[in-house]
Amino acid sequence: MKFAVKALSSGKARAGVVHLGSCPSPIETPCLLLSTRKGLPIFISPDLLSSLPSPDSNLLQFSPLHFSEGPSPKTISSIGGLHQMVGLHEYGFAAVARDSIQCLPECGSTNKTGASFETPCGRRLIKPVEYMEMITSMKPNLWATLADEVPAWANNKRNKTSVDRTVKWLDECIARSP
Amino acid sequence: MALRFEVLGRFNRARAAQLTLPHFACQTPLFMPVGTQGTIKGLTTDQLEEIGCQIILGNTYHLALRPTSELIDELGGLHKFMNWPRALLTDSGGFQMVSCITNLYVAGIFYTQWHFAYIFQVSLLHLADITEKGVTFQSPVDGKPMLLTPEESIQIQNRIGADIIMALDDVVRTTITGPRIEEAMYRTLRWVDRCIAAHKRPHEQNLFGIVQGGLDPVLRDICVRGLVDRNLPGYAIGGLAGGEDKDSFWRVVAQCTAALPEDKPRYVMGVGYPLDIVVCSALGADMYDCVYPTRTARFGTALVPEGVLKLKHNAMVNDTRPIDPTCACMVCKNYTRAYIHCLVTKDAMGSQLLSYHNLYYMLQLSRNLHSSIVEGRFPECYIIPDSNLCASRNSNVVRFLWQFPKGDVPEWVCNAMDVAGIDISSCCSS
Repeated sequence: MKFAVKALSSGKARAGVVHLGSCPSPIETPCLLLSTRKGLPIFISPDLLSSLPSPDSNLLQFSPLHFSEGPSPKTISSIGGLHQMVGLHEYGFAAVARDSIQCLPECGSTNKTGASFETPCGRRLIKPVEYMEMITSMKPNLWATLADEVPAWANNKRNKTSVDRTVKWLDECIARSP
Repeated sequence: MALRFEVLGRFNRARAAQLTLPHFACQTPLFMPVGTQGTIKGLTTDQLEEIGCQIILGNTYHLALRPTSELIDELGGLHKFMNWPRALLTDSGGFQMVSCITNLYVAGIFYTQWHFAYIFQVSLLHLADITEKGVTFQSPVDGKPMLLTPEESIQIQNRIGADIIMALDDVVRTTITGPRIEEAMYRTLRWVDRCIAAHKRPHEQNLFGIVQGGLDPVLRDICVRGLVDRNLPGYAIGGLAGGEDKDSFWRVVAQCTAALPEDKPRYVMGVGYPLDIVVCSALGADMYDCVYPTRTARFGTALVPEGVLKLKHNAMVNDTRPIDPTCACMVCKNYTRAYIHCLVTKDAMGSQLLSYHNLYYMLQLSRNLHSSIVEGRFPECYIIPDSNLCASRNSNVVRFLWQFPKGDVPEWVCNAMDVAGIDISSCCSS
């Protein structure tokens, strides 16, 4: 991946361009990532997706936790990764553990071993090693590491703990980075 | 008459034809997906064009309730309203009013997704009163009695603007016995005259009559003759696909196709399963409609040459094969069974992708039936489906008998193919 800033405003805003290996054209930033459910935008199959403006619609966000109930990382690897599995070979995928709708961080259940999420399959505790197993099998273009996400009203102690854990998990994820 | 029907090829009773309608020149045999509320659930009209859909069926009852035929007319007709440039067919509305609980429950859920859904759990059969005037039923909106007459049905269909419209018939299920069947058959003939008189757009819309008469060959014969006397653009065989045994089903189709005019299209309503379509085509039918492909998709079932594939099954969890390796559709080219398995019954995309595949499958079946009849390959028999002898996918009759790898082809199929003059003995174990 390559990112370059093309222009700056008088303030902090900047216009840039992202080059991703799988996308044939560079994508201008600021850009909107389309949210997905199991890798596909809700209700929009790939043949319909191509009717949206391109390359602006070529960057998709997904949560590896959507695949908690399958297919397994081993199966996803044998298919060739997420791009192959969902038939979007010329799109860019950005992985984030949480989405804003169905895989929500449950900070009360998160502990030192892993981050907890409420998912449609129930509450799941994900450890860095499992998260990285998913990332390695899915091969997204971009991925965020596992974080201990807490709401803005968390107390100071919990807040500090979340930062410490997030940094620790960052190192663990980097160590297992594909 | 607003159609042309030209037979391009035959094999015994089976025929392949060009059916030219105001909005599209179709090739028969053909399958019509059901777009109840002016849409096929899960697919856009672009996708339907892409997969080769020729005619879509719309339900008059549902469209009359919502958004109303007057609004559709005001907005330029159903073609424009749903952005479908090809052909449309509307049914009369009668069947929906007296059909089974499942259909109404689905319609009710679609119509109003909240608290009125429970209303439709009661069969409207108990609430529908059929008299010479028409069908009186309780409005699902406000419970008031409503009357659908033959005249009203045709007026609604005139406003909707489909290429083919259906006469209101007095339809009874084939599982019923007794004088009601005879009453319904004669009433159907009387109502078709009222439909003809009420039809204001005969040069743009083709009115098809519907043959009734239950499973009684005498009644069926009287009805066929009566409809043929009226010289309609096309004819449907109704009152089937409602729970009768298959042996009775094919005999009624065979009798009607033998008696209906050669030079007009024959439409078997509510059919159906791929095997039924192949058998009915062998017997001389041309057009079919059924909710089965899309409905079964929503339950996680895909149509494949071997029969059906249940994607919900645990065996699919890590299966990296496509649904059907021989299928050229977007779904089979891009997706594995494992991926579809993780979607079905949990995410709408599962229903969408399976509906897409299932409709592609049915439409490809139609194309194969047409081309194999035209090219004289309709009955060709390959004993071993996987062998190198099976050079093309276009051998239809036997392809459908691949569902019975042990040769246990149902007796009704054997009997029907016998009457159709097609030798399938090499596919049967006995």
